[in-house]
Amino acid sequence: MLELESVAKAWHPRRGERRELLQGISLSVAPGETVAILGPSGSGKSTLLRLIAGLETPDAGRILFAGQDITGVPPERRQCALLFQDFALFPHLTVQDNVAFGLVEQGLARAQARAQARDMLGRFGLERFALGRVWQMSGGEQQRVALARALITRPRILLLDEPFSALDTALRMQLREEFRNHIAAFHMATVWVTHDAPEARAMAGRGMLLEQGTLQPQW
Amino acid sequence: MLRAALHTRPAPGAVIRGLLAAVPLAFLLVLLIAPALRLLLEARATGTDAPGWSALWLPWQDPYLRHRLLWSLAQAAISCAASLALGLPLAWVLARLEFPGRAFLLRSLMLPFVVPTLVAALGVLALMGPGGLLARLGGPDLQGSPWLLLYGNLFFNLCVVVRAGAESLAQVSAARLGAARTLGASPWRAFWRVEWPAITPALMSALCLVFLYCFSGFGLALVLGGQAYATAEVEIYTLVAHELQLGQAGALAVSMMTLTGLVAMAYAALERRLATPARADRVLRRVPDGLWPWAGVLAAVAVWGLFCALPLLAIVWRAGLAGTGAGDVWAVLREEDTLQALWNTVRFSALALVLATVLGLLHAFAARRSLLLRALAYLPFVVSPVLVAFGLLLLYPGWTGSFWLLVVAYALLAYPFVAKSLAAALDSLSPRYGEAARTLGASPWRVFRRITLPLLATALRRGMAFAAAAAIGEFAVTLFLSRPEWATLSTLVYQRLGRPGAANLDAALVLACLLMALAFAAFVVIEWQAPEEAAHA
Amino acid sequence: MKHGIFYGRSRTLLAQAAACAVLALSAGAALANEVAELRVLAHSSFTVPKPLLAQFEKDAGVKLRITKAGDAGEMLNKLILTKAKPIADVVYGIDNALAPKALAAEVLEPYAGAAAGRSSPVPMVAPLVSVDYGYVTVNYDKAWFAKSGLALPKTLEALTQPAYAGLLVVQNPATSSPGYAFLLATIGTLGEEKAFDWWGRMRANGLKAAKGWTEAYYTDFSRNGGKYPLVVSYATSPAAELFYAKDKPTEPPTGSLSLPGGVFRQVEGVALVKGGRSVEAAGKFIEFMRSASVQQQMQTEMWMFPAEAGVALADVMKFAPEPAGFSSPADKDIADKGPQWLARWTRVVLK
Repeated sequence: MLELESVAKAWHPRRGERRELLQGISLSVAPGETVAILGPSGSGKSTLLRLIAGLETPDAGRILFAGQDITGVPPERRQCALLFQDFALFPHLTVQDNVAFGLVEQGLARAQARAQARDMLGRFGLERFALGRVWQMSGGEQQRVALARALITRPRILLLDEPFSALDTALRMQLREEFRNHIAAFHMATVWVTHDAPEARAMAGRGMLLEQGTLQPQW
Repeated sequence: MLRAALHTRPAPGAVIRGLLAAVPLAFLLVLLIAPALRLLLEARATGTDAPGWSALWLPWQDPYLRHRLLWSLAQAAISCAASLALGLPLAWVLARLEFPGRAFLLRSLMLPFVVPTLVAALGVLALMGPGGLLARLGGPDLQGSPWLLLYGNLFFNLCVVVRAGAESLAQVSAARLGAARTLGASPWRAFWRVEWPAITPALMSALCLVFLYCFSGFGLALVLGGQAYATAEVEIYTLVAHELQLGQAGALAVSMMTLTGLVAMAYAALERRLATPARADRVLRRVPDGLWPWAGVLAAVAVWGLFCALPLLAIVWRAGLAGTGAGDVWAVLREEDTLQALWNTVRFSALALVLATVLGLLHAFAARRSLLLRALAYLPFVVSPVLVAFGLLLLYPGWTGSFWLLVVAYALLAYPFVAKSLAAALDSLSPRYGEAARTLGASPWRVFRRITLPLLATALRRGMAFAAAAAIGEFAVTLFLSRPEWATLSTLVYQRLGRPGAANLDAALVLACLLMALAFAAFVVIEWQAPEEAAHA
Repeated sequence: MKHGIFYGRSRTLLAQAAACAVLALSAGAALANEVAELRVLAHSSFTVPKPLLAQFEKDAGVKLRITKAGDAGEMLNKLILTKAKPIADVVYGIDNALAPKALAAEVLEPYAGAAAGRSSPVPMVAPLVSVDYGYVTVNYDKAWFAKSGLALPKTLEALTQPAYAGLLVVQNPATSSPGYAFLLATIGTLGEEKAFDWWGRMRANGLKAAKGWTEAYYTDFSRNGGKYPLVVSYATSPAAELFYAKDKPTEPPTGSLSLPGGVFRQVEGVALVKGGRSVEAAGKFIEFMRSASVQQQMQTEMWMFPAEAGVALADVMKFAPEPAGFSSPADKDIADKGPQWLARWTRVVLK
C-alpha cells in the first residue's frame, strides 16, 4: 500500500543552519498491516508522518500509494488520515459534525453524513455526545472521536502521531485494545509513531527505530 | 523570508501569500503613498526653505514645532497609559463576569467613535464645561485644561483597549488558568502569569492604534483643548490647507511619519513575538457571587459611565429636551435632507465596510509571516490624511469628487481595524486544525471556509464592528471634496452647526442621536451570535 | 450550519446582493449623466435653495455639479494647487481678503457679462463679480452682560482692561475666514505695529483662540454654554439667532458691537476658473447668482447682504443693521504682507 523510496528531509532550526533529519528513508507498509516507528523526541518521527500525509514535501525520494507516485499530490487528495497528539478536533463544530467533516468533503449531503457519523459514534459507544461540544469530553473520548473521524472516510492509510501521549496510563491500556479492534475491523494500513516501546509491540506487527535519520528494523 | 517560506511549506503558499498581499498593498500604494509622495515632491519643487535633506531637520530646530511634536508624543503616551490602566480592569470584568446589561455595555462602548467630534465636544462640555454638571455640583470648570484633552482622548479610545482586552481574555485557556491556581497561584498571580501573557499581543496592537490616533489626532482633543494644545497634525493641516506652505508642512509630515512608522514597527514586532497559540477550552463567565465581584461590576459601570456614557447621555438628553417646548425640532428627522443624508450614510458605510473587510482579510492572511506587512497595516494612521487628501487632488484631479474615491477613502481608514483584529486571532490559531482538515480531504479553500473563517469569526466581527464605526464616524474624510447630494448625517450636523441659532443646535443634536442609533443598530447586526456561541465568546 | 460568519449563508449572500444593488444604482445614476456638466466650487457655507438650482439647471440646460471644499481659504488653496488641471469651471466664495492671493496665483478668468457691468454697492476687483457681503464684528451675549452688570466695551483698547479679562474668543486667522477678517480690521485701524501690540496685550488678558467659527460659537460662546460672552462673528448673527429661536422672542438674544477697528466688511464673489470648461454655462451661473430670486432668498440661508442694488432686504434683517464704519488695510498690503501677518499673529498669540 505505502512505499517510501529514499526519502530525505532537512530541517532549518535557524537561518543558515541545516540539519539532515531524515536520510534515505525507505519503508513499505502492506494493506492491513500496522507498522510502528519508535524513536526519541526530535528524531523526526512526526516529520515522517507529515511527509506521508502530504503536509510537507520531501527534499529527495518518492512516496508511492498502491504503486502510484503521489509525491506532488496535495494532502486533501491523498486519502491519508492523520491523528494528532492533541486530538485537533474542531472546537466550533459539534462532535457529530466533526466526525462527518470528511464525508462532507467527499461530497456527501450533510444530513446523510450526519447520520453516518452518528452510526460511527455508536460503534465507539459515544453516541450520547453527538450534539455536544468537543471540550465537554475527556481526553480519551476526544481521541476516540478523532479516530472515528479518521476512519469514517475510509482512508487508504492511517497515520497516528503519538496518539496516547496526552493520556494517563490506565486509559492508554484500555484504548490500545479498542484502537486495535477498530483498526482491524476496517483493515487499515497503519503507521503508528510512538516513543513507548511496549505500546509499539502491542499495536504493531512490525517495528522500526528511527535514529540518526535512518530506519532500523526492530522486529 | 521567501526562501524560509519555500523550505517549510510547499512553494505555492508563498505565491498565494504574495497575491493576497498584492491587493491591499496596491490600494495603499495608489491611494495613500503615491498622493503623499506627490505632495512632498510638490513641496520640494516649490519650497523656498533650505532645499534638500537639511530641510527635514527644520521642525526640530524651530522651538514652536518642536514643542508641538513633543506635546503630541507626550499626550499620546499618557493617553495610552491611561486607557490601559482604566481599560484593562473594565475588560476583565466584562470578560469574566456575567451580569445584566453586559452586552449593551460592550456595544455602547463603541458609540464615541461614531459621534461627530463637535457634538461629542458639546456633550463633554455639558458635563465638565463652565455651565456643566460638574461646575454646578461645585467642581472646577475644566474647559481649556489639559485634563479635558486627556478625557477627550480616553472617551474615544477606551473602547479599542477594552474590546481587545475582553476578546483576548475570553480566549485564555481555562485549563491553563486552573492549572496555575491548583499549583498555588493566587488569582492575582494567576492573572500575571497566565492571563497577562496571553492577552499581551492583542493589547499591544490595540495600544498602538490608540497611540497613533492620539498622536496624529485632530478631532475632539483640539476642540476641547483649544489651539494651545494642538497636535503636530493640526499644524500640518494649517500649513497645507490654509497657508499652502508645503515645504514646512512636508518636513513636519516626514518627521511625524518617521516617528509613527517606528512606533508601528515596534508594536508589530512585539506583537508577533508575544503570540501564543490558543486552546479551545475557554473560561466561562460566571455570575458575580460575593462582595468583591459585585464591586468590580459597579466599578466597571462607573468607568463606562464616566468615560463613555455620560457625554452621550447629555447629548441624548438635550436632544430630548429639544423636542419639548415650542417648535417641533424632531420634525428635522422627517426632512428630505435628513432622509437623503441617512441613505448616504448607510450606503457609504455599507460599501466601505464590505471593502474594508475584504482588504482586512487579505492583509491579515498575507501578513502572517511578514513583520513589514504587519506594520503596513497601520499605514492609514501613519500617513497624514491632509497629505493624502491634497496629494489626491494633485495626482488624480479627474477623480476629485468621485463616488468611489470617497468609498475607498472610508474603507482605507477603516480596514486597519479588521486587519489588526484578524492578525491577532490568526497568531493564536493553531495550525493543527487546518492540517487535520486537509488530511480529511479539504482543499485549502475549503479549509479557509469551513475551519479558519469560523474560528476567526469573533475576531472578524469585532474588527468589522470597529470598521463600521470608523466608516460611520468618518474622521478625516471631510478633508476630501464632497458634493451636497452626498452629504451624510455627519456632514449635515456640521452644516447645521455652521449657523447660529437654537433651532440649528437642537437639530444638530437630534441628528447626532439618529447617527448613534444607526451605529448601534449596525453593531447589533454585525455582532449577532447564535446563543450557544454567546456564552463562550 | 449555524456557526461563525456564515451563520446563515443566506445572510452573506444577501449582503453581497445588497452591495451589488447599491453599486448598480450608483453607477446607474452616474451613467444617466448625458447632459453637459457645470462644475461649481464653493465653500462649505454655500446654500442656495434647491428649487432655484433646479430651475437654473433647466434654464441653462446643464447639470450642476457642486463641490464643497471646506473653508474659503482652504477652497482657494485647493484651486491654486490644481491650477494645471482645474477641478471646477466656476468658483464661488472668494472674498475681498482672499482676492489678492487669488489674483496673484492667476487662477481666475475675466468675465465680461452683464452682471460684471452692473454697478453694485460693493464692487469687487475684477475678475470677481460680487454676490453678497457681510460684516465681521464682535458679538456679545445680552444675558451675560445683563447679569454681570458690566458695561459693553466701546473700543478695542477697552478690551485690554482687567475688567474685560478672559471674555473674548477669536478664531485663528490661519484657519478661519472671519478670524482673518477680524485681524485685518485691527491692522486696518491701528496699523501693523500697534495692532500686534494690542494682540499681545489681549493674549496677556486671557484671549482665547479657537480653530473656527463653529468651535468658537458653539463651544466657547457663553450663549451656548461656554464662558466667553464676546465672540468674533457676523453682524447678521443676532438676526439669525432670532430667526432660529425656539420660542419666538421679540428681540435677538445677542447683539453686534461696532468697535472701531473691530469691523471688517467681507464681500464674497463668484468668478470663472482659468482653464475651466463650459465657459458659457459658467457665465450663466454668474448671472444666476446675481439674479433677484437668489439675492433675495440667500439672505436667510447664508446670512449675508445682497450685492445686487435694489434688492429688498428680508424682514428679519432689520435686527442686523449695517455698522456705520469698517476698516481694512489696502489691498496691495493684504497681497504683500498677508502671510507675514498670519505668521506674526501665530507668534504673538499662540507661541
